[in-house]
Amino acid sequence: MKRAVRVLAGTRSRPLPALALALALVAGGFAAWTGQDWYHAAHDDRAAYAEQRDAALAAGEQAVQNLNTLDHRDLDHGLDLWESSTTGELHEQLASGRREFAEQVKAAKTVTTARVLSGAVTELDDRAGRARVLVALRVTVRASDGARTDKDSRMLGELTRTQGRWKLSALGQAPVGGTPAG
Amino acid sequence: MSTTRHHINRQRRRQARETRPAGAPESAGRRTRTAVPPPPGASPSSSSSARTAEPAATGEEADRARPRRPVGLVVLCALTVLLGGFAGWAHAEAEALRDEPARSNTALTDLARTSEIKGQASKAVGTLFSYDHADSGAFEEAARDLLTGKAVDQHRALLAGVRARADEQKAVITTTVTESAVERIDGDRARVLVYADQSSVGTAGSAKGAKGAKDEGVYAGAMLAVDVVHRDGRWLVSGIDTFGR
Repeated sequence: MKRAVRVLAGTRSRPLPALALALALVAGGFAAWTGQDWYHAAHDDRAAYAEQRDAALAAGEQAVQNLNTLDHRDLDHGLDLWESSTTGELHEQLASGRREFAEQVKAAKTVTTARVLSGAVTELDDRAGRARVLVALRVTVRASDGARTDKDSRMLGELTRTQGRWKLSALGQAPVGGTPAG
Repeated sequence: MSTTRHHINRQRRRQARETRPAGAPESAGRRTRTAVPPPPGASPSSSSSARTAEPAATGEEADRARPRRPVGLVVLCALTVLLGGFAGWAHAEAEALRDEPARSNTALTDLARTSEIKGQASKAVGTLFSYDHADSGAFEEAARDLLTGKAVDQHRALLAGVRARADEQKAVITTTVTESAVERIDGDRARVLVYADQSSVGTAGSAKGAKGAKDEGVYAGAMLAVDVVHRDGRWLVSGIDTFGR
């Protein structure tokens, strides 16, 4: 009887702390598990790579669109945008040919706009900061007489990361039948 | 009053420890039951002082636990709440990170899957957009084999005109994918951007030889995006987007 009472007394005087301890341990377990889960999610190499991929694609699509957009009434702004979207050799080409090109567009009085239909990254070297993109583009040219022509362009772009930003370093159209198309 | 009581208690405890170290917990434990919750406002009578004294007599354990328990309990509860809160927060953060669109798209991050999709989609486009007037059975079989869902109708509509012309001119249309890139992979669905060249070659020696010869080596560049879906270990074309052309 005495023993039974003692056992009873023991369980009756302890349940609360025991329960609290158990809950705390369970909570601790969950905290440890979710904590390491979070850590792994935050330090996922593939996630960083995916972010670079998306950054490169976004910059690539924007740059390709910029380079296919030009309004003869606002040449300076348009050509500034061309230069800020590019780097390396392409940038030098654009800068050196700028004056001549501006004259041509001024004379032709054309307004060119472009819409990106679709884009995808084919290669990405996130350490070297180089990427290759495909951008499907629809270019609309409005001539001075108001005539509109739509043309689809299959663009191939090369991007280089400079100072944390992706910029076009080469741009061309995918050749048709082995020969480059205009 | 309390000081006297405490004094008495201490004396009793000391006595208990000295005289009956083994028996004390047994005899005392029984009384602990009644003694643990001291009735609020109980008069410090001799019986009350005896009752409050008893748990102390259960030995060091009870002596230590009694004043500490509420503090320990509060700390434990606070710890539980804190840890639980952290767990919930960390879980939410991890899920939010994983739900980022950049992560759910495994194009290029999963290189093996990317090249598998690229290869199969390119091959499918090449087959689906090629047509030999002399072997229309193979063309229809390819359509059955590689297409699913709404792509079946899209494909039929896209190639109806081409087929009719090819049959008339006895031509062989060959489509070669020149460039392709996976836009996104989301589980068992993916979208691939494809650049393809289409050439039409009239069969030599046909009745309409002149017309066929005219078409010989004609190349046309095309761009399209295909949606593919993974089924039975293969990627089937489930949608063809020609960008409104």
